[in-house]
Amino acid sequence: MAITQAMCTSFKQQLLTGTHDFTTSTGNTFKLALYAIASGGKSSTTATLGASTTAFTTTGEVASSGTYATGGGTLTNVTPTTDGTTAITDFADLSFTTATITARGALIYNSSATNAAVAALDFGGDKTSTAGTFTIQFPTADASNAIIRIA
Amino acid sequence: MISFPTEINVTSVNVMTSDEGGLSTEQVVNLAMDRIIRVSDTAPPAIKEQAEAFQNNIRQVLYHYIELARREERGTIANRMAKAGQEEMADLVRRI
Repeated sequence: MAITQAMCTSFKQQLLTGTHDFTTSTGNTFKLALYAIASGGKSSTTATLGASTTAFTTTGEVASSGTYATGGGTLTNVTPTTDGTTAITDFADLSFTTATITARGALIYNSSATNAAVAALDFGGDKTSTAGTFTIQFPTADASNAIIRIA
Repeated sequence: MISFPTEINVTSVNVMTSDEGGLSTEQVVNLAMDRIIRVSDTAPPAIKEQAEAFQNNIRQVLYHYIELARREERGTIANRMAKAGQEEMADLVRRI
């Protein structure tokens, strides 16, 4: 049982069928849900996320705490653009406050498209906030670093 | 045969957490710095040195003004609390 950083394979296919729209305001609603391993999720569940994940799952998701509610936080889309020959998209940073959370990774999914999975994120270790702030900062939106890049 | 080699990638995110309250000014400064300037490891030494000097300068300016903003906001909140008759709470906020 593990969380592996990956672009979900089903998402790659759905890009070719026009399932996802990352446009600011008028696009789809994307969410980020937090997950724990080693039975750290709600109801003592463990997350398994990776390239084969096809949709949002409650298994292994962390419990609601502070401003984090199960299902995850809504992301603010940044309209896709290009940097050289690479297409990129970005999201505004996301914070959950007064939250007691231990998470090992996250899943970005499209709640406007039957919760279709976009990408699994591995934090590289447990990240914990205790009655504090849990912030996810997205990388610089350029051809080398943007959260989602098509080169 | 014609082929179009294409890659779809996902990059790691940066996670920052705090205990018993919000992020510290240092943490907020680090979040901002990641967005403002990044110095490449492979940059020529002279450019790298100049960029790092600029980075340090920006970091100090950011720290100063974020601290100031937090203090001023606390001042406004404390003032509103005091006006609403919550002197004790106002004093607690002032002392953060």
